[in-house]
Amino acid sequence: MPTLIKGKEGQWNCNPDTEEVDWTNVDTFDAGKPLMLKCDDEPDAGMTAASLIGVEFPAFNDGRALSLAVLLRTRFGFSGDLRAIGEVHEDILHYMVRCGFTSFQLSPDRNPETALGVLTPYSGCYQGSVVDPDPAFRRLSRGSVNS
Amino acid sequence: MYQYDNFDRQFVQERVEHYRAQTQRYLDGKLSEEEFLQLRLRNGLYVQRLAPMLRVAVPYGTLSSQQLHKLAEIARRYDRGYGHLSTRQNVQFNWPELEEVPDILEALASVDMHAIQTSGNCIRNVTTDEFAGAARDETIDPRPYCELIRQWSTNHPEFDWLPRKFKIAVTGAAEDRAAIAVHDIGIRVYRDDSGTPSFDIYAGGGLGRTPVIGAAICTGLPVKHLLTYLESCMRVYNRYGRRDNKYKARIKILVRAMSPEGFREKVEADWVHVKDGPGTVTDEEIQRLESAFTEPPFESLEEATDNLQNQRVAHPGFSRWLAQNVGLHKQSGYAVVTLSTKVTGIPPGDVSDEQMDVVADWADEYSFGELRISHEQNFVLPHVPQASLFELWERAEAAGLGAANKGLLTDMICCPGGDYCSLANAKSIPVAEAIQRKFDDYDFLHDLGDLDINISGCMNACGHHHVGHIGILGVDKKGDEFYQISLGGHSGHSGTTASLGQIVGPSFAREEVPEIIDRIIGVYLDNRVETVNGEAESFLDCFKRTGIEPYKERVYANADKR
Ligand code: SF4
Repeated sequence: MPTLIKGKEGQWNCNPDTEEVDWTNVDTFDAGKPLMLKCDDEPDAGMTAASLIGVEFPAFNDGRALSLAVLLRTRFGFSGDLRAIGEVHEDILHYMVRCGFTSFQLSPDRNPETALGVLTPYSGCYQGSVVDPDPAFRRLSRGSVNS
Repeated sequence: MYQYDNFDRQFVQERVEHYRAQTQRYLDGKLSEEEFLQLRLRNGLYVQRLAPMLRVAVPYGTLSSQQLHKLAEIARRYDRGYGHLSTRQNVQFNWPELEEVPDILEALASVDMHAIQTSGNCIRNVTTDEFAGAARDETIDPRPYCELIRQWSTNHPEFDWLPRKFKIAVTGAAEDRAAIAVHDIGIRVYRDDSGTPSFDIYAGGGLGRTPVIGAAICTGLPVKHLLTYLESCMRVYNRYGRRDNKYKARIKILVRAMSPEGFREKVEADWVHVKDGPGTVTDEEIQRLESAFTEPPFESLEEATDNLQNQRVAHPGFSRWLAQNVGLHKQSGYAVVTLSTKVTGIPPGDVSDEQMDVVADWADEYSFGELRISHEQNFVLPHVPQASLFELWERAEAAGLGAANKGLLTDMICCPGGDYCSLANAKSIPVAEAIQRKFDDYDFLHDLGDLDINISGCMNACGHHHVGHIGILGVDKKGDEFYQISLGGHSGHSGTTASLGQIVGPSFAREEVPEIIDRIIGVYLDNRVETVNGEAESFLDCFKRTGIEPYKERVYANADKR
């Protein structure tokens, strides 16, 4: 059984994924239903009415779903749970988090403990992101050097 | 030079720890080969034919003497006492142990260096003019904007898993030494009428299997919008670039499929949403970066014309070096010096640990502690007082770095090829050496004038063969190593935009190559005329005038006797 990692009040926890989600796709979607997107689907404003959006990673090194997540969050303002599905690999999680994913269905072959340990390997990043829109040059006073 | 602040230091340190943990998981069997491959590539580690190869980022080719000393130390301690200057201004080590790479990265971090995104399908190290901040034909120093792009592209959450590798080059001078037309994104920076830095953006250029000249997609972009505009370009590429075929995955294929206008429209449609958003660069940040690249404390010196003239008369070798390897500096009394690594018998770009140490010492003594790596795989000392040139030349000669061949036939660009690279169709280093051996008469080489020979061991074109005046490409013919020759390419020299070479015809066996080059040069010498200012017509101009036919004729004449 895959593991589901979910963020809640700044805490991440993982449990066996026992949720039975009745996914719809772009053709069968209705407001209030959970919607599963392929990484090359075009996002639109109607999707923000989904109860949950899943985006599928066809391979762990395919970055299209990252852009799709950014668009759903920043362009269309989706504020519900955004879930990474498919080839979800622990080493991509930190990118996913910053692109606005809030839950992850970890592939069954991945170790959940390892995954929890690498969710946020960096204390700060250069660019803005979905979780913190300001780049470092707006967030911090750059240029200070301790000798 | 840009100095890391606390934030940069902490980030690079955390990157080392992150990678160390990934390496450990791989060694513990918790990551497969394929998974670890993707992770190590983003930290510059390839596994080559014989051993791993670590590519260290030298952001836009600028190094401090302290950093070069550290690279020398790494070459001694973790490698076999040498390193390789790459055609993208980076430094490569060919013999590190995979297990030791985290320690090497730690050593690099101690001098504010790293190997982040020097390979893999992500935004690579941004490159620029090796004479930035020094060249007399420069309108604006491009390095503050290179640094801006470096920081923005480092560990980008959305753009680290692209369809294919992505290379950005920036130039700020009249002569485009950064070859911006053949990059995924090329950027020209200049000052607009009000003095604000402005940018022209070109997209979809590239070498490799399908060489293309980039198309202008945006002109006059103010500096504050640079990052949001790039963000939109990257987003369009990340979403729509092909991923089904790695040979069709570069942005040039997408731009061609959409047409440059179609691509621009997509980018603009995205950009309206991010323009003026938080990614807009603040004035303070622009000032911070610009002030990191202010001029070194130059003394006010006279042009040392008479003195140099006397030294030239007394030492013909110095005279040749001065003519060939020393360029005009924007500050009077100073010069830009290229230290050539192209010595017969040594693979182009290879430098020993001792050479790195002495070059670092010279940077301290003669060049405000600063040096550069050029895409022609040479060292550059950017700010040398003219009065020190003679002394520097004598020392460079003694250290094997005094070859007076910058831009000449023997200053070849050459990828590591089949000796090291697992993707190669053919070796490239022995071809370079055989050509250097055939043409070893300095007077003849100087008489020939500027002539770029670029050699790649396969279609990936790391040796930039398409833009060589003479390009040599390793091809596989039924399991044998052959070489295809092209003529008339260039990367945008002397104020013109880049153009790609034309293939002469069927390929040649390795031992034939020097003779074929000799014939090509013969055609040039027979056809070249005197220009209006009394100089000999260059190889390129002559080629443009005559076309390829006379070359074809001579190269394949009595082919049966070859
Ligand atoms: S051009 Fe080919 S052979 Fe040469 S380094 Fe690049 S990939 Fe290797």
